[in-house]
Amino acid sequence: MSKQLKGKTAFVTGGSGGIGAAICERFAAEGAKVIAADLHPPGTTLRGVEFRKYDVTSEDVVSSTFTALAQQWDRLDILVNAAGIEIEKTIEDTTLEEWNRIFAINVTGMFLTSRQALPLLRKSAGASVINFGSYDGYIADPGLAAYCATKGAVHALTRAMACDHGPEGIRVNAVCPGYVNTPMLQDFFGDSGDIETLKQAVRDVHPMRTYGEPADVANLVNWLASDEARYASGQLWILDGGLSAQVQQMRL
Amino acid sequence: MVQRLTGKTVIVTGGRQGIGRAIVERFTAEGARVMTCGRGPRPAGLDAQILWQTTDVADRAQVDQLVNATLSAFGELSTLVNNAGVQIEKTIVDTSDDDWDQLMGVNAKGVFLACRACIPRMVAGASIINIGSISATTADPGLALYNASKAFVQGLTRSIAVDHGPAIRCNAISPGWIMTGMADAAFALAGDPVAAKSDALARHPAGRFGRPDDIASLAAWLASDEAGFASGQCYTLDGGMTAGSPLNPGLF
Repeated sequence: MSKQLKGKTAFVTGGSGGIGAAICERFAAEGAKVIAADLHPPGTTLRGVEFRKYDVTSEDVVSSTFTALAQQWDRLDILVNAAGIEIEKTIEDTTLEEWNRIFAINVTGMFLTSRQALPLLRKSAGASVINFGSYDGYIADPGLAAYCATKGAVHALTRAMACDHGPEGIRVNAVCPGYVNTPMLQDFFGDSGDIETLKQAVRDVHPMRTYGEPADVANLVNWLASDEARYASGQLWILDGGLSAQVQQMRL
Repeated sequence: MVQRLTGKTVIVTGGRQGIGRAIVERFTAEGARVMTCGRGPRPAGLDAQILWQTTDVADRAQVDQLVNATLSAFGELSTLVNNAGVQIEKTIVDTSDDDWDQLMGVNAKGVFLACRACIPRMVAGASIINIGSISATTADPGLALYNASKAFVQGLTRSIAVDHGPAIRCNAISPGWIMTGMADAAFALAGDPVAAKSDALARHPAGRFGRPDDIASLAAWLASDEAGFASGQCYTLDGGMTAGSPLNPGLF
């Protein structure tokens, strides 16, 4: 590895998840000090990554975590807001409790973490915040109504944070993955019958004829976190193997 | 410098100065073999290992010669950067037929000709990077054909990604205000160019205008295998400018 993040400090929410864990491992391999913050430790040990039990929906937990972090690190260079869930329902089937829960994790959690991180981010010589949006914030997948809505909120929040905190030396971008091979995608495939046929159909609809791997997303997040991306801010970076570049694939 | 582009064989159009020159030098520094071109003779100071072919990209025969010369020199072609572009500071009412031929010849036909000549001869896993502009989606006043030509670039980028994936990835970079001779020419249109520049600067959350090397940073990532899942996108790199509304009360 080229050590693009040597000496940097990074805090990754959702750091035990499919994409979050790949980001943590990549950051560590690039020379960063990394904390993976999540409800549960990762399934496998992440080399060079420190785990921190963390609940993005709890103002108390977020607050005490960053109070403690200020004792451990003199600055925060990279914040990745990757914690997120999806609920596979239309609005008709979504209870208010479910709606509030997904917003609490995907949106409010991003707000709480980012707000508490600001003092430490301001002490960086060039901070980078990377939020997790989705291509679903642009175009909808059926049966993911509340999820799509949270990602639209993330996109708007990303632009707002970039405007407000750019002058303080903090870049803010969102990564918007398409289909990526994670536990969340496996859930989405769910019990759809012949899973291999379905997976192949999903691959075939992509111009790149594949869906992504967590490492593909980590490649982009690593670039956005690095000083290479020093002029990148306020943008929503779709990474989807070309999926959203094409119109619906009609079977004519 | 990391060496992400070792083994890449590259054509960069419009490499004399500005963004193109920065891409040429960055790609070379990262280990790529680079052929570049422009309408004039080889520029002074271009590193001896960089090949130069005097080329008008609006001329099919000259583009074919450029591609042939590249394949003769490198034996293969992995990367095409369509950077050559011109700008004419006119509304359409003032635009002549000759202006149309000149601008669309380089910015639109030139990209078409280079892609058509290269795509059948590129290696699997090749990457095409088109330099678009934020003007593709939001118009700069007095740059009518330029704006329109950059919208062409975005449309063509998506088409190539859809038609020629998975063998070829194709993405565009949409720079904002990058300090080049072209940007100075645009500022010169203002009644008070100094005040205009100061106003424009205040609209950048990054607190500065872009530099050609900022664009080269993203081009290098897109050209590298790190970007294996990135296709069909037009990535904006503008220091956060277009993330904010153009109606900025703070500047009243």
